[in-house]
Amino acid sequence: MAPLVDMRSVVKVYPNGVIANNGVNFQIEKGEIHAIVGENGAGKTTLMKILYGLEQPTSGEIFIKGEKVEFKNPLDAMHEGVGMVHQNFMQVPSFTVAENIVLGHEPTERLFLDKKKSVEVTEELSKRYGLYVESDAVTETINVGMRQRIEILKILYLGAEILILDEPTAVLTPQEIKDLFKAVRVLVEQGKTIIFITHKLREVKEISDRVTVMRNGKIMGTMLTSEATRKGLARMMVGREVFLDIHKNAMKRGKNMMSIRDLSFVSDTGRPMLRDVSFNLYAGEILGIAGVEGNGQTELVEVLTGLRVPAAGWATIGEKVVTGKTPREVRMAGVAHIPEDRLTNGLAVDVSIDDNLIVDRFFEPPIRKGLLIDYEEIEKNGEDMIKEFGILTPNGQLPVSSLSGGNMQKVVVAREFSSSPKILIAAQPTRGIDVGATEFIREQLVKKRTDGAAVLLVSADLAEVMDLSDRIITMFEGEITGVFPDASTVEEEELGYYMLGVKRQSKKEMEALL
Amino acid sequence: MRKFFSNPAVREGLRVLIAVSSALLLGFIVTLFVSEDPLGAYKAFLLGPVSKFNRFGDWIEESITLIFVGLSVAIAFKANLFSMGTEGQLLLGALVSGSIALFVPLPAILRIPLAIIAAMVAGFIWGWIPGYLKAYLDANEIVSTLMLNAIALKLYDYFLIFHIKPPDAGYNSSDFFPKEGTLMSFIPNLPFLKGVYTLFSDKTNITIMLYILIIAVIAAYYLIYRTPFGYKLRMIGANIKFARYGGINTKRTIILVFAISGIFGGLAGAHLTMGIHTKLIANISVGMGFEGIVVSILARNNPLLIPFTGLAYGYLRAGANVMERASDMSREMVFVIQALIILFVTAERFLPTIQKRIEMRKENNTHMEKLAPSDGGSHEV
Repeated sequence: MAPLVDMRSVVKVYPNGVIANNGVNFQIEKGEIHAIVGENGAGKTTLMKILYGLEQPTSGEIFIKGEKVEFKNPLDAMHEGVGMVHQNFMQVPSFTVAENIVLGHEPTERLFLDKKKSVEVTEELSKRYGLYVESDAVTETINVGMRQRIEILKILYLGAEILILDEPTAVLTPQEIKDLFKAVRVLVEQGKTIIFITHKLREVKEISDRVTVMRNGKIMGTMLTSEATRKGLARMMVGREVFLDIHKNAMKRGKNMMSIRDLSFVSDTGRPMLRDVSFNLYAGEILGIAGVEGNGQTELVEVLTGLRVPAAGWATIGEKVVTGKTPREVRMAGVAHIPEDRLTNGLAVDVSIDDNLIVDRFFEPPIRKGLLIDYEEIEKNGEDMIKEFGILTPNGQLPVSSLSGGNMQKVVVAREFSSSPKILIAAQPTRGIDVGATEFIREQLVKKRTDGAAVLLVSADLAEVMDLSDRIITMFEGEITGVFPDASTVEEEELGYYMLGVKRQSKKEMEALL
Repeated sequence: MRKFFSNPAVREGLRVLIAVSSALLLGFIVTLFVSEDPLGAYKAFLLGPVSKFNRFGDWIEESITLIFVGLSVAIAFKANLFSMGTEGQLLLGALVSGSIALFVPLPAILRIPLAIIAAMVAGFIWGWIPGYLKAYLDANEIVSTLMLNAIALKLYDYFLIFHIKPPDAGYNSSDFFPKEGTLMSFIPNLPFLKGVYTLFSDKTNITIMLYILIIAVIAAYYLIYRTPFGYKLRMIGANIKFARYGGINTKRTIILVFAISGIFGGLAGAHLTMGIHTKLIANISVGMGFEGIVVSILARNNPLLIPFTGLAYGYLRAGANVMERASDMSREMVFVIQALIILFVTAERFLPTIQKRIEMRKENNTHMEKLAPSDGGSHEV
């Protein structure tokens, strides 16, 4: 019997010359959960966009249930039962959940929208597939997990048989991931087929039946998940052994680089986001901050880097108070900052890679020469960093928007690491990027620490915090709830209790360790 | 030949050429319906500016104003700041330079530079205000600059009517400027240049402002693309959060962008008074500041292209003037044709998408050719 989906010799060349898919043969069987893994830029998203009709292949053929198809747009694909859940949700924030689900294909009663029917349809779908949503809640008030379920229900409403989930877990909390996996299994029981794009090998093992590895626009292999190992998959993805466990030397803690005292911050809406946060950053140490997102980590980083002014308290580097100062002053004091959202703060995507790499140094020699800036030096600076940090691009004059997510992050990391910082504040440094880039960035973080920089690491990836940090602080509702002087001896569960505010150390207990 | 057409600059030029010619064709069709003598009218429009030497002068003088205001707009737009304030800066530049030209008893060698610098300072200050309002009070720059334009206009009228115009004059304008306050011809009055000098100074008002303009174009280009300030400006334009995160003092830069944009507006004002009219008159600007938006957008806010778009747009306006005077076409119809041309040239979505599609198809093909023989052997990392 013909496979449900059969993509044959698919080639996709983008107008800028990037070969995203280079002769891909890819089959999906009905009723399976098929994971696609690969580094950013390996071509997985492009392949799926082709299957979903968003991109047209340069050459190659697609067969669905043995019949040749040609999708000119996503609507064509939808008619054949192919639907995709994107990373970025496409929803109207002020609409209710039900309205968003039927958006564009609303049930009507004569000439009018039938709101009751929308709600009925939503609840029926929701029940049938075990995807719980509140059909009359306003979309902007609900959490990310439910918003994602809206996306899935939306394509089910349109009759999708094959669901492509593009990195669905990137935005979810551990509990939400569990719920999602449960729902995925229900969908398969009901006869749906799932294609699951991810970076996380742990999830591949947990959820998928088969797994396909892509690298450099090609398929490196497809196998039963039960026969695959995490290490083996990682090797196929990057073509070499990946250090899933970080090797680092014993910590040599140096002097106190930054003291943070009684820091408080109140959001624009009046919510206290930081309450009396105090700790020290030491040279040669990675201090990890563990916490569920939204518990003050973002605000802490932004206050420490000069992007926000604290309501009370201060931070000092040596004798110098750095809170309430401008980002330039903070940078001049030796702080580098990898921001949590590279697209908002870390990069100007429409300008060249070269220009993005000089924002912290354009005003000094060698780039500034007298009254002017020296383009040769800018280009040289760009070339050096593209080489040193392995940024995949033909040249530095291309806009950052031409890069994949992992390479964009490398641009940020290249700039921040190359300024030889004394203090490095890294927020979500490996979020949404591929294994190769992740590994590279983690190694660089450890190297900076071994070279004597103080590193503050904030990450939603608990494993990352635990693997990289020397010391861990947990944050809950803007407060420090615990401090663990030796990260290697901490249990995940134990940290979880402190991150969720179930347990809490007393001020006295923590005092000496902060 | 193929290579010639694949050059982006050539294509861009062709694109504009096609747009202009289709617009001109459409304009002619309009003329056919409206005019008794369409050929004559259209000829006046197309060839008017170069048909007589004084009309040629009108064209160049108008273009100088347009290029100054275009530069003013480009600097703000490049930083993604939608300043509409050039009009007001131009008015105050005119008022200040005109007053100095009229009243400050200095020899020309001092009076003229003083007047020009004063115009620049006036523009700078009038730009600084909305810049400050934007940076520190988050006031929308479109609203604040438009309001400031209205204030500038009233200030101009007030000083002209109550303080500058001769009390017994029956019209709202000043006396002509004395010789010491009038810009000299751009051709030096030297014995061997006598003929050319007489020709230009008798028939045109093309003054040394032309040289200041050339310096201004180069200065604006260097400012935006070659200085640290220009880098800040461009980063603010590209992503202001990134600029701030990177350590750029965004507030100060925004204020300076507005203020520097104002310098060029002020210069346009000095050109109008001391170069063209040689007196202060009511309605001196009639919206010239806003024409800078068209000039700048057509040039994609690139200072080096602004002289070309300024001259082209100036030609259009000069031609329209000739057409209005020399034929039975009404001013309104002339505006319609002008608008058509602008519409066509700015219709960025129209031609570029077609161009992009052709490009994509071509590149796909060439890459396929490249791929085929290699059989796509796997690349090891």
